[in-house]
Amino acid sequence: MDAFTNFATGTVTLFSDPLGIALFFGGVIGGMLFGAIPGVSMLTLAAILLPFTAHLSAEHGIMLFSVIYCTGVYGGAITAILFNIPGAPENAPTAFDGYPMTLKGEAGKAVGAAVMCSAIGGTVSAILMMLATEPIAEWAISAFGPPEIFALVFFGLAVAASVGAKTLWKGWLSILAGLMIAVVGLDPVGGIERYDFEMPYLLAGIHFIPTILGFFAVSEIMVQAEKKATGAYKAPKISVDFPSFGELWAHKIAVLRSIIIGFFCGILPGIGATLAAFMGYNEAVRWSKERWEFGKGKLEGVISSETANNAATGAAMIPLLALGLPGGALTAMMVGVFQMHDMEPGPLVFINSADLVWVVFAAMFFANLSILFIGFLETKTIINLLRIPFQFLAPLILMLATVGAYAVRGLVIDVVVMFVAGVAGFFLRRTGYSVAGIVLGLILGKIGEQTFAQAMQMLHYEWTGYFSRPIGLSLLIAGLLTLGASAYRAFFAEPEPEGPPEDAKTT
Amino acid sequence: MKLMNYFAGAATAIAALAVAGGTAWAACATDDLPGKRDKAGDYPARALTMIVPYGPAGGSGQVAQAMAQAVSDLTGVSINRDHKPGGSGTVGMTSYMATPPDGYTVMEHIDDASSAHALDSTRPNPASDLIPLVTSQITFSQIYIRKNEDRFTDWKSFVTWVKAQDGKATIANVSKEGSMERVTMKFITDATGMKIQQISFDKGAPRYGALAGGQVDALFEQPGDVRKFLDAGRFKPILTILKERPAAFADVPSIKDEGMNFEPLFRFRGFYVKKGAPADRVEWLQWAFQKAFCTEGYQKYNESKFMNLIDSYRDTKGSQELITSTVAQYREVYKSMGLEVK
Repeated sequence: MDAFTNFATGTVTLFSDPLGIALFFGGVIGGMLFGAIPGVSMLTLAAILLPFTAHLSAEHGIMLFSVIYCTGVYGGAITAILFNIPGAPENAPTAFDGYPMTLKGEAGKAVGAAVMCSAIGGTVSAILMMLATEPIAEWAISAFGPPEIFALVFFGLAVAASVGAKTLWKGWLSILAGLMIAVVGLDPVGGIERYDFEMPYLLAGIHFIPTILGFFAVSEIMVQAEKKATGAYKAPKISVDFPSFGELWAHKIAVLRSIIIGFFCGILPGIGATLAAFMGYNEAVRWSKERWEFGKGKLEGVISSETANNAATGAAMIPLLALGLPGGALTAMMVGVFQMHDMEPGPLVFINSADLVWVVFAAMFFANLSILFIGFLETKTIINLLRIPFQFLAPLILMLATVGAYAVRGLVIDVVVMFVAGVAGFFLRRTGYSVAGIVLGLILGKIGEQTFAQAMQMLHYEWTGYFSRPIGLSLLIAGLLTLGASAYRAFFAEPEPEGPPEDAKTT
Repeated sequence: MKLMNYFAGAATAIAALAVAGGTAWAACATDDLPGKRDKAGDYPARALTMIVPYGPAGGSGQVAQAMAQAVSDLTGVSINRDHKPGGSGTVGMTSYMATPPDGYTVMEHIDDASSAHALDSTRPNPASDLIPLVTSQITFSQIYIRKNEDRFTDWKSFVTWVKAQDGKATIANVSKEGSMERVTMKFITDATGMKIQQISFDKGAPRYGALAGGQVDALFEQPGDVRKFLDAGRFKPILTILKERPAAFADVPSIKDEGMNFEPLFRFRGFYVKKGAPADRVEWLQWAFQKAFCTEGYQKYNESKFMNLIDSYRDTKGSQELITSTVAQYREVYKSMGLEVK
């Protein structure tokens, strides 16, 4: 077992010097903390640390970033569950069911599931990464071009229309609203200015992070404030009951499915953990026999989203290390760390610095494992944040969300977008539209528009070109079938059982 | 072909770009500047802010980091980078124009600012609305194919193959209307008579992945950005878009070798301060940024990015000439392409 020997060597290197150990645990805790505090994220921490990595060895620098990556993706789940504020966009689907669980007094169960599933998803992903980085990377870039990515986005949108909205029509209208917001700014092909209303700041488009903060955090505060004013407010019950082994085992299929989806999304350059989490969640809804339960506090929703986003972490390292293609912002910063040590990630890394690669692999493996242990300890303490009375907590959340919205690009317009989205979300949620659908339409719309244009150029504006691309064609057909099935249900089938009465709904 | 004629007069400073030997400078451009300089009164009394109109990971983000580090090491004044990406550099420029001209905020920008002004003269002119402190990177473009490609192996066989595909061959680039990439591709297709489908990728990673994974047939890029793929033997340049061959690419034909007669366009990145900043502060900044260019750290960075193959340095006056001639050149091209020049 060559891989095993390499892994053992990497582990020994990682834990054989005190600085390495200190950095490892510093990264684990730092990633979790920055991931959990809304307004700052693991990206903030990584940006602060980037210049300092010049003074570390290359092994330590890269290892630190990969550890922050793993634990940061998990950390954002905590605030998503406790306060409906996703610490990062990849935790947004976690809030769909995690926050309703908190309102039902099941915060401990939701956070516990997030801990377990992040650890499982991340660890499996790390193992797959160790076994097959190079072949997987080569396969991904040759099998998945723009036509396939567009087909994947189309499929994702077709599934998403059935998530979180009261009716199919409202689901589609929500998605389409998101797609419309996504076209604000320069078009991705000719650079044509669209819907900018002569405002240069709108040229950069509407960013999804302030939109998420508005739809989730700001509108939630308004909902709670209204309840407070009308006397209907009830503080969430505190519970630190963890999910039992039996409860988790019952979701083994969901975990497995999310690992596959998350890993798969993670290896596509430029797609990454956010799409992974949304797709993981969507698929859970689609395959469920109790789809109406989603969005109302279903454990499976938290499990699917958190497994998928952590499964994307190991996968995202594959194109980075094997090909030098970063999939997202944090992996792009890792390129910076490599360069500070006169290295370029890419095919040569495996030849020239195999030791380093295995230290990274070992670090990611153990970072995911440590989520399990440190996560349990952390959870017992952090849930007590729910004891803070609403009138003190709400301004704090608003302040952090404002900072977070501004920090994305340093633009005041993002803060305006956040508050507009907050007010809009407040009313949309009352009328049965899905704010999650809007956010997904916005995120996937940007990727989808660009890849659609690229795909059409590649196929010479003939959609029949898809017949020569079996993977893309299969995804398109799957999307069409999903559309057809949901239309059939909307028109002909018996209405689905609605579950609990509407007033118990939270989203 | 009539496009080419526009350049008889337009190419002044650009034509003078010398092709260097391909090794690091024996003597750096600003060696004669003093190594230390007193502050301008109490300026700078605090950290500077550098607006970067692109994200931290791309070429601009990296050069901004390298230059900020070099200036800080030289002067002890720290520089906070403030990334404002979006709108092909428009957002960063707009934000910068709204800052007070007190010398505490500087900006990184690239040739996109010049082409944007050429297309629409209401956009700031980097040569006159701003004061260039230094242009620290000037580079040329190349056309790349996969090293293991067997349908064609060099520029000549590539052109023959592309022609046989009847417009169905593809090349990845950043094909925003009026961009340096799109204009250069027009020069090339006009000169060779080939038709090729350009596919636009605005981010580097998917663009390089598209060539490596066989999604496109060729790639338009600058050598520093794909160096790792060249070193790893995955990509191979088949055309250098320069009139002379740089020594580092001695076996790659230039446009002149292949019988194309147009003035090549360059990608350049530099640093600016707003016009109206106090003169003594501007002088201090000019000294700091120009001297920082020659620090060992910055030179090493430029070398790693193939920025030592042609003369990559311009001082304030040289930058103004470079920008002015670039704007004139783009404006002529835009008119000949039928674009509306405001």
